Amino acid sequence: MTSPIIEARKLYKSFGKVQANRDISFSVNGGELLCLFGENGAGKSTISACLTGLYPPDSGEILFKGKPLRMKSPAEAIRQGIGLVHQHFVLVPDFTVLENIVIGSEKSLVVQYEEAEKKLRHICANYGIEIDPNTLVRDLSVGEKQWAELLKALYFDADVLILDEPTATLDIENSKKLFRMIDKLKADGIALILISHFLDEVMQADRVAVLRHGAVVGIKRTAETTPEELTRMMVGRDLEPKLRDNSEVGEPRLVLENVTVEGSDQLLALNDVSMTIHHGEILGIAGVAGNGQNPLMEVISGIRTLASGRIILDGINIGGMNARKVKDMGLGHIPDDRFVAGLVPEMSIEENLILGDHRGLYADGALIDFGKMRLSAERAIKEFQISAPSSETPTGNLSGGNAQRVILAREIMLATKVLLANQPTRGLDVGVIEYIHKRLLEKRAQGVAVLIASSELEDLMNLCDRIGVLFQGRLMGIVDAQDTSLEEIGLLMAGQPLEVAA
Amino acid sequence: MIEIVPRKSTGWHTQVAAYLVALVLGFATSALLIKAGGASVAEGFGALYEGAFGSWEAVLQSLVAATPLIFTGLATVIAFRAEIWSIGQEGQMFAGAMCGYWVSLYLGGAPLLLAVPIIIFAAMIGGAFLGGFCGWLKTQFQVNEIISTVMLNYVIIYLLSYLLAGGPWTEEGSTSYHQTPVLADNFHLPLLVDGVKLHLGFILALVAAAICWVILKKTPLGFEIRALGFNPTALRFKGVNVTRTVLVVMGLSGALSAMAGVSEIFGVNYRLRGDVMVGLGFTGIIVGMIGGLNPIGAVIAALLFGALANGSLYMSVLSDIPPSLVPAMQGILLLFFLSASVLVRYSIRIKRFTHV
Amino acid sequence: MFELLSPEILMSIMIAAVGVATVILLAAMGELITERSGIWNMGVEGTMLSGCLIAYLVMVGTGSPVMAALVAMIAGLVSGLLIGFMTITLRVDHFVTGLGFNLLASGLTLFWFRSYVGGGKPPSYSTIDKSAIPGLADIPVLGPILFDQHLLTYIAFLSVPFIAFFLRRTTLGLETRAAGENPQFLEAKGLSVSNRQYSALLVGSALTALGGAFLMLAFADQFRPDISGGRGWLAIVAVIAGNWKPVRTMIAVMVFAVFDSVAVHAQGVGVDVPYQFFLMLPYVASILLLVMIRSRLGQPAKLGVPYLRH
Repeated sequence: MTSPIIEARKLYKSFGKVQANRDISFSVNGGELLCLFGENGAGKSTISACLTGLYPPDSGEILFKGKPLRMKSPAEAIRQGIGLVHQHFVLVPDFTVLENIVIGSEKSLVVQYEEAEKKLRHICANYGIEIDPNTLVRDLSVGEKQWAELLKALYFDADVLILDEPTATLDIENSKKLFRMIDKLKADGIALILISHFLDEVMQADRVAVLRHGAVVGIKRTAETTPEELTRMMVGRDLEPKLRDNSEVGEPRLVLENVTVEGSDQLLALNDVSMTIHHGEILGIAGVAGNGQNPLMEVISGIRTLASGRIILDGINIGGMNARKVKDMGLGHIPDDRFVAGLVPEMSIEENLILGDHRGLYADGALIDFGKMRLSAERAIKEFQISAPSSETPTGNLSGGNAQRVILAREIMLATKVLLANQPTRGLDVGVIEYIHKRLLEKRAQGVAVLIASSELEDLMNLCDRIGVLFQGRLMGIVDAQDTSLEEIGLLMAGQPLEVAA
Repeated sequence: MIEIVPRKSTGWHTQVAAYLVALVLGFATSALLIKAGGASVAEGFGALYEGAFGSWEAVLQSLVAATPLIFTGLATVIAFRAEIWSIGQEGQMFAGAMCGYWVSLYLGGAPLLLAVPIIIFAAMIGGAFLGGFCGWLKTQFQVNEIISTVMLNYVIIYLLSYLLAGGPWTEEGSTSYHQTPVLADNFHLPLLVDGVKLHLGFILALVAAAICWVILKKTPLGFEIRALGFNPTALRFKGVNVTRTVLVVMGLSGALSAMAGVSEIFGVNYRLRGDVMVGLGFTGIIVGMIGGLNPIGAVIAALLFGALANGSLYMSVLSDIPPSLVPAMQGILLLFFLSASVLVRYSIRIKRFTHV
Repeated sequence: MFELLSPEILMSIMIAAVGVATVILLAAMGELITERSGIWNMGVEGTMLSGCLIAYLVMVGTGSPVMAALVAMIAGLVSGLLIGFMTITLRVDHFVTGLGFNLLASGLTLFWFRSYVGGGKPPSYSTIDKSAIPGLADIPVLGPILFDQHLLTYIAFLSVPFIAFFLRRTTLGLETRAAGENPQFLEAKGLSVSNRQYSALLVGSALTALGGAFLMLAFADQFRPDISGGRGWLAIVAVIAGNWKPVRTMIAVMVFAVFDSVAVHAQGVGVDVPYQFFLMLPYVASILLLVMIRSRLGQPAKLGVPYLRH
């Protein structure tokens, strides 16, 4: 049994009053894949930051190849041989792949590319990565950007590789490719740490350390445990049973006919998309973000211009209507970027709740009806269980989950006919996710047509009546949630169309 | 290494304390400036105070000096709150004065009660149009408003120069003075007091401040202005017509600056000149920023700066210090106030953690 | 007005344009570097004005143009340090800081100048001579325009390809660009974003102040309040119009410089269109240029965004 390449002993780290990591201890051997498993906010990213020199732990030790290691900066971690593949790509789009990797370790005045290029091509060949090092990152696909990010770490001869949620932006094909690469890295003796909250990925690791509220709840060999046990360890309780309502759907409510939306650079953001959502139906859009989900949501809600095609809501043509009119017709829209598109972080909860209705419902003559605003806010806080000091708290001070509750409160009240939800559960913990699912199903029961885009396939399978897949702006097909399988959806996500069943 | 970390909340005590410290530091630095110039600080500040507050006349005169600053300060507040960085106060002020004067050329012997409101109205239209034009350039062509307003400032100045230096508005026989003939009595803004030229403009300025306060705090427009300054994307997603808000803000700001022009030409100087109002627009920016982008704060800052401007004349007579100390002081005070407003929202920590 | 189109006048316009362009070009190149690092320095006008005053004072005091230029550059460094402290360390909004700095510089230079002059007449000096390149300066038409200029003009125009090379092929240049495009990139490599931004800002401010010094030494014989006359702003516009690329920025600068030169010549020649309308030309041109050139693709992604570590 070889000694572990990297080991964490009793790590503690806090930020102000928040204890992000408590008594963290684990080890990883060479050629082994350990998964750090936990829901959002459990402390996984903090551990990774400590291990890669971004900031030092408050107390505890990090042992690298048996010797204690105190790193003062990420540069030192890279030098030692600890590589990090970031969750959100840390690349400069205007630079080539080569420049992205080489900058920072170059000691000379003018960049010397020849040596670096040779080494990089060698690594690419070794791991089956097909990228030309001289391509601009801007011109790479999302999957290729992930390989570029990976190459950054591999280039510096890492002995330890930490992969932070690497498949969050990858489709099923590329995710499989990534795990094949991980197998090769294991065979080369590298110690790998995978940070993830996806169950199917966890089970592919050798061992898993489950984190909850900043502490390690347990470390198990995946061969000796089950997904259910891991989930229970992660959440601390049994999850509520999935309550999908299988009642019949009604008449068509929201109809899209040959909808096309222009994008940047001559590409179409949405290309000839047609679909129908019925009364009391939840239609899910699967697929990695960036394939047209945002343009779809934005064109329906009237924020983006419809280039051609028709959008009909309850018989009325809403294509071309501005967003306020569409909203007034009974459409609610939960955008994917909470603090940028959904809320004004500097404004209070009550002010955010009247955003969009400040001239209509909440106006009293020339002034704002502050009494109504306050009452509305108090009711919303109670009903949606928003945890905040008061209704005057700026939404920027709220946690992601509470901020989402504020947006929910506002949009659910508006959505009497249609509710659009774009990645509504992203980055949230299980408790909030359950709550959001519950409210969406309530809307369904009320006869509202719900359109939800999500990259968490499991959520879609449990919530939706039908699931469609967008790939590069085209609708690849719509399948029945009960009859389909992950493989079928995977094929659609990879660009293989089915017979379109709108 | 110095690191700036956000504070969770700031009591108003801290804010007031910070601003007082900024004020003190600002004056202290100005004192250093005076010393460096070889003059006596006590003499200088003493004369400044005398000139600003030394007598009842002085106080009223300070209010007169503050009047245009209140207007341009408010213009700044309205625009900057929406994070629309309009630097056109100077040009819009002149444009307002010019429009007012142009209209007065057609108002012949009209009674004051008719003439003055028309002049004010015309001036506000002129300023609003100029501001709105820059707003249009911003929304239609993504032309940065800082640039368009600054550039148009120069255009207006040159236009005025043409009109006054031998052009159609020049007074007969005084081409070198760059001024129009004296305005008839029916165009003068009524005086509030005898002896000192405290005119109607001062009351109008306070009224304007009150209106701006109500707009920002209590109306849907003010809500949009504030939200626009914080996060235009969220507004867009809610179908708010951001273009219209930008145009309204720029128009309002322009109209306010124009009132500063009316105030100086029709309330104090009684003729349109190229040199009397110079700098009041830019000072208004300082006033607005030091006032915390708040209408009430702007009034207080304007009163302070009006006092400084008024006192500086006395100071330059009594000591060797040139009146241009005051613009310098204004700039210094501004930088200290900016630093204070940042430091109040953040706390400073010294970290030992190093980067290359 | 068409007297302006006579060959002699046109030559004169072009020769003067290249000279005026030097002032704006130095500032524009400086601002280009600064903005590529992510700092949107609106205080260019104030920095240039400071350079003007310092150059004037040193020139009058020592009679040495070289000293004047050098000390002016130091004034530029001080300006850059102040602006940098506010924008990089204190993370005050870039626009507000720059505007505030302009106001400060305007006030301080006015005060300093008036204190210095006291009640009397401001001292003056003779402007510096051009340095013609022997042989090349005799080429018809192009010779006088391109090769019979001041030394600093040659340096300014040669700096354009140099800066282009710096930004595209040198380590420091790429790192500086990374600060403006994706600061997290530098942080993940353990490199300091603020160091690079400070450097860019200091270099940029020094160049701008040098432009101001040149304005004084070559075109004026004494200081006047607000002598920079908006040329700092034109430099900022030139960078935007040039899509943040050195050569295109230089072209935009030339456009402004030609208009500026036309305006000066119109005053001298005595045209029947009032000269003030010619003086407006550069400013109107800048707005038109921005309206026509809609592409902002070259704008650094994080330009103007104060950077917060982790």
